Amino acid sequence: MSVATIGILYGVGTLIVMFSGMPIAFALGSVATLFMAIFMPGSALDTITQNVYEEMASITLLSIPLFILKGAAIGKSRAGADLYSAVHAWMNKIPGGLGIANVFACALFAAMAGSSPATCSAIGSAGIPEMRQRGYSAGFAAGLIAAGGTLGILLPPSITMILFAVAAEQSLGRLFLAGIGPGVLLVVLFSAYAAWQYKREYKVALDVYQGGGIKSAYLDDLHLTLADKTRMLPRVLPFVILLTGVMVALYGGYATPSETAGLGAILALVLVAVVYRVWRPKDVKIIFTSTLRESTMLMLIIGMSLLYSYVMSYLHISQSAAEWIVAMHLSKWLLLATILVFVVILGFFLPPVSIILMTAPIILPPLKAAGFDLVWFGVVMTVVMEMGLIHPPVGLNIFVIKNIAPDIPLKDVIWGTVPFVLLMMFAVVLICVFPGIATWFPDLVMGVAGK
Amino acid sequence: MSHGFEINPAKGPEVAESGILARISQWMAIFNEWVMLVSTIALLGAAGILTLGVLFRYFLKISTDWQDEASVFLLVGATFACCAYVQSYRGHVGIDALASILPASVNRIRKMIVDIASFFFCSFFTWKSWTLFHEALVGGQTTSSSFAPPLWIPYSLMAAGMTLLSLQLLLQVLTHFSRKEVAP
Repeated sequence: MSVATIGILYGVGTLIVMFSGMPIAFALGSVATLFMAIFMPGSALDTITQNVYEEMASITLLSIPLFILKGAAIGKSRAGADLYSAVHAWMNKIPGGLGIANVFACALFAAMAGSSPATCSAIGSAGIPEMRQRGYSAGFAAGLIAAGGTLGILLPPSITMILFAVAAEQSLGRLFLAGIGPGVLLVVLFSAYAAWQYKREYKVALDVYQGGGIKSAYLDDLHLTLADKTRMLPRVLPFVILLTGVMVALYGGYATPSETAGLGAILALVLVAVVYRVWRPKDVKIIFTSTLRESTMLMLIIGMSLLYSYVMSYLHISQSAAEWIVAMHLSKWLLLATILVFVVILGFFLPPVSIILMTAPIILPPLKAAGFDLVWFGVVMTVVMEMGLIHPPVGLNIFVIKNIAPDIPLKDVIWGTVPFVLLMMFAVVLICVFPGIATWFPDLVMGVAGK
Repeated sequence: MSHGFEINPAKGPEVAESGILARISQWMAIFNEWVMLVSTIALLGAAGILTLGVLFRYFLKISTDWQDEASVFLLVGATFACCAYVQSYRGHVGIDALASILPASVNRIRKMIVDIASFFFCSFFTWKSWTLFHEALVGGQTTSSSFAPPLWIPYSLMAAGMTLLSLQLLLQVLTHFSRKEVAP
């Protein structure tokens, strides 16, 4: 049987098993095992557990549960609401400052917790009611938080980046740094849109009022004293120091990424215990249970995805697919566009973890052959996968928003996210035209790659 | 990555409605809770070891070449040990697009087939894990580092975790068969 036929069978078989509803980890493991039994030497089956263990026993990969622990500790406390209140208080005077404060709070929380849905939930729980109370339209408020939450998988420490670093064999430190520039770009774009949309909605509210209509809360002036503003800081500063401290430990050469994960988790647990008094066993149990549930599910998918990729590589499916893509002689940018569309389509069905590990052996060699910097591509791919968090059919953040603000119709939430999906597409174009947005900062801190 | 955030968290583990299966499911649930406690300690231990590694290296100038492997063993152990607990809550994610389209009766059969297939895969993996453990134990296999801890330790944790997962899946498969049809 030709490699192409085996490859098609492998792909179709995977789709059938996955769409049957079988858990992704078991589906990938089952298909890989079946193809090992049929197409590989008999002894191969004896090595499946060793393969899974050896792939999983990477200290870089195993930093994931610790980063999740750090995120869960912060996410389960009131840190998000306090952070939001502090940023809001300090940005109050800027036109559209409330919306911009939400974007900034999302970015800061995402960098501390590293989770998109947790960011949406933590900042949105406080931010959406406040924005609506101040007259912001429901769709605008929901879209702002859904989009702000996506920064969780772009800003370091991003689990998506960890997986990409492992799959593409790239420096994790460089990838983390490469996410900062595009993260800042998205914050600027989202903030600019928030200010513009604020002005539009403010003008409509003003016109209605001047025409004898009801006075919208948009037109009310909120005054906060310096005392109001400074009162917020003591609760927030420790977390900002944690965020900075972890980065200094990593890039100052004091700790490896996995040590940073351990250190960050311990410090986050200590901080929530001291600042929010989350130290009773029943409170701490929630943090650990949710961490173990999420990380177990994720690590099993990772282990089985790596087994799946190993079989694909052993049977020369990935190499042949990569050669086939190269032989198409697509132009550099058409190749990139095709791959990104492929990633978007996969994002309809699969979580980022599976997309990265399953597709990396196929898509990375052609991209490398076309002269793309894989660290740069990792960032572009992450932004594209971020879009998947706020557009149907999966759009996890949409459902998180629906959960924390059930009175906002789903239609409004979806329409509210559309401008942000377009902004993210624009950001991808900008990063393609100016790759330095992603590569400048890592080159500055760690030196130019390959030199 | 939801980092512990669940939109609709399950209220409790899935258990059979009545009879011996319900009792075994309850025992399994209690056992899984204990396993979670041990895994929590392992997770905290791994975080602590990595943190101490940094402190020892910079303040006491003591090399900690064992820290990475100890952390890996603890985290691999915690991961596999919790597989059954996660499965008891149906926490291993899958694509459930078909579930919303299919009629209830067909969906019930689909779920049963999926559970049976999952059980067979995990049982096979369990069998191979114990084989791997046995080879490592008998052959005195160690890791390739200078610390060289025995490999039977993580292999035994993997095998034990997968055994628990297979048992959990078997319970869920048997629960399908024990369920009485409800008249429409």
